Order: sequence, then structure tokens, then C-alpha cells
Amino acid sequence: MSHSTTHVTEFDAKEAWSGGQSPFKISYGKMMMWFFLISDALTFGGLLISYGFIRHKFGDIWPKAEHVFTHFPFIKQHIPLAYVGFMTFVLIMSSVTMVLAVEAGHRMNRKGVIVWMFWTIIGGATFVGSQAWEWYNFIVGTDLFTSIKDCTDQGHIRTFFDHNIGETVTRHIHGANMVVNEYGVPQFANYFFFVTGFHGFHVFSGVVINFIIFLNVIKGTYEKRGHYEMVEKVGLYWHFVDLVWVFVFTFFYLL
Amino acid sequence: MEFHDNYPQYEIMSNHDEAHGKKSRRTLWNVFWVMLAITIFELIIGFLAPSKGWSGTLGLKTLFISLTIAKAAAIVWWFMHLGHEVKFFKYTILMPYIIFIVYTIFIVLTEGTYAGTSGHFTKVDPIFKKQQEALKSGHHGGGEAHEQSSAHEATEAH
Repeated sequence: MSHSTTHVTEFDAKEAWSGGQSPFKISYGKMMMWFFLISDALTFGGLLISYGFIRHKFGDIWPKAEHVFTHFPFIKQHIPLAYVGFMTFVLIMSSVTMVLAVEAGHRMNRKGVIVWMFWTIIGGATFVGSQAWEWYNFIVGTDLFTSIKDCTDQGHIRTFFDHNIGETVTRHIHGANMVVNEYGVPQFANYFFFVTGFHGFHVFSGVVINFIIFLNVIKGTYEKRGHYEMVEKVGLYWHFVDLVWVFVFTFFYLL
Repeated sequence: MEFHDNYPQYEIMSNHDEAHGKKSRRTLWNVFWVMLAITIFELIIGFLAPSKGWSGTLGLKTLFISLTIAKAAAIVWWFMHLGHEVKFFKYTILMPYIIFIVYTIFIVLTEGTYAGTSGHFTKVDPIFKKQQEALKSGHHGGGEAHEQSSAHEATEAH
């Protein structure tokens, strides 16, 4: 175990660039993870800004999230934003368990890393499952709990271009797809699918990567290596996923 | 692994002892409670907004966006540990991103203002306006313009 407990923050520019050390005082792997995250953040930034553009364009007719996302499992009443609040809580919580795993790794505490990474994976899987459930409700429609017979009467009337028959049609619409949805402009569903889908895929990858590292921790790979920096690197990725969700949550659900 | 030069092993430099661990765990939990409180506060405001008539107001948008940025900063600073990296690394990570994103937000919202269909804050581009009027009066020539008008109708139908 290492006894160098210092978090070096002093920076001498002349000395730093003279070679033989990292001017950033950081390992190659961690630095590259940061650079990757910056590029990924630019992708998400681009998506969210283009979402802002479209929303700005349809500002006065954009659907309100509190009218769309009102479902909660096992409860028939509509509670706006409650479930997405739960999802946010789960993801923030899993971010905390991840950072505690990283901290346990800094103390070379293998058991601590295993416990906290386990809960991180559980939290991530819960989040992905919740998002699947959100998508299901979004696609099926807001009157999920009424009988199917009623649904045809309660569908929202939409005029849209049907690509299958090649003409503009007017129909009762229930739920959402990429062409038309009951909530409002088609772009509302398109952006919801694309951005939450892209984020959800990041969460899914994060769970898979976390699981691989988790197996390595159990095997004792990092114990042998003398440091748990790999846990720290996947931790960076995991926090980034949480970071993106903070923005998605605000722009898709709150505003 | 056993490559002997004098290059520092940054991988083990962030290892620490139990006393330091206890201190940093306390910080992390505090950050978590603050973030949780912010999220619950946001949800309560979001829940109350429609009935209180706050929806879509500039004040509400400002509040939500600043709270979001506060949460994001907390994640980057404490959870991702950027606050403990050397100053030069902080700038290398944050500055290019911030400059690029701020500029993109500025330019896209400026352009978005001119691309609008209607709305009190939308400055409609005169050529776009002319096209829309032509579409409404029925002189559209199919193709893309046709789809555009049908999308426009779809938005009005609800």
C-alpha cells in the first residue's frame, strides 16, 4: 500500500513542462478518459442545443411535460413528474455509491469496492428499466389505464403525412411514434426518443462496463496491480452519465 | 508494470489512508444531500408551476437552469474529483468546452428566433413569412413545401 497521501496541487509551469513527468500530474488513462468525456459532452451539448432550437421554434405550442409524464407504477392516479423524480434519485444515488467505491479503492479496501460497485450496478440497471417503462407509457399513450374500447374515442385528432400511403390523413392518434404523436408536434417525440435513448444507451454501456470491472475487482486484478485506478476511470464515465441526466431531466421534464 | 524509470506513478498517488478517507466520505455525503435537496425542490416547483401560473416564465427557466448548472458543477468538482486536479488540467478540460458551448447556445438561439412560425418573441424572417402566406393561400408546389404545411396543420389540430 502506498503512503503518498498528498493530493499535489502546486504547479510550477517551468518545471512541469521540462519532461520526466506529466505536466497535469495525472495518469495517461485518466487523462484520456477526461478527453473522451469532453468529446461525448460535446455530442450531448449539440443534441440538447438543437433540441433548444426546435423548442424555441415551436415555443408556444410545445407540449408541457407535466401533462405527458404522469404515470407511476401500480398507481392509477396521474402524478406529474413523480416517476422521473424517482429515476433521478436512483441515478444520483448510484453516483454516490460509485464515488464511494472509488474512495474505498484509494484505501485498497477490496471489500468496500465490491459492495459499493454492486449497488452502483443495481442502481444503473434500475434506471435503465425505469426508462424502458417510461418509453412504454410514452409510446402507448396517456390513457393507458382506460379500456381499449374507450381508447379509440379518446384518441387525439391529428393531421399528418402518412408515408405508407403517400398522402396527408386525419386520424385519431393514441401514443407516439416518429411521425405523429398525441402530445403535440412530431419533433417532441423525436427528440424525446433520440436524446433519452442516447442517454439510456450510455447508462446501459455504463452498467456493462461497471459489471466487467466489478468482476475484475472480485478476481483481485487490481489488488495485484497495487491500485484501483480502473474503478476511478469507470467512475468518471458513470458520473458523466449522471451529469448528462441532470441536464436531460431539466430540459425535457422540468422546463 | 515493472518498468523502471523515474516517471512518477500517478495511479497510486491518489491512494490515501483511513483518516483522509473519512474526511472525503463526509464531503461526498454532504454533496449528495445538497443535490438531493435541490432535486426535490425542483420537483416541488415543477409540480406547483402549472397551478401557480409559473410555467414558461423567464424566472422559472432561470431558476431551473441555474440549479442544474449548480448540480452539474457539484458532480464535476467533487464526484469526478476535478477540483483536486492541478489548475492547468482544470482549464484544459473546462475552458474549450465552455467557450464552444456558450457560443453554440448563443448562435443557435439567435438563429432559432428567426426560424419560428409564430409567437410574440419570434422575429419572423420576411422571406419565410412570404412563403408561409403563399402556402396558406394555396399556391404551394408540392414536395417539401407540401410536407411543411401538413406538419404545420398537425401542430394546429390539437
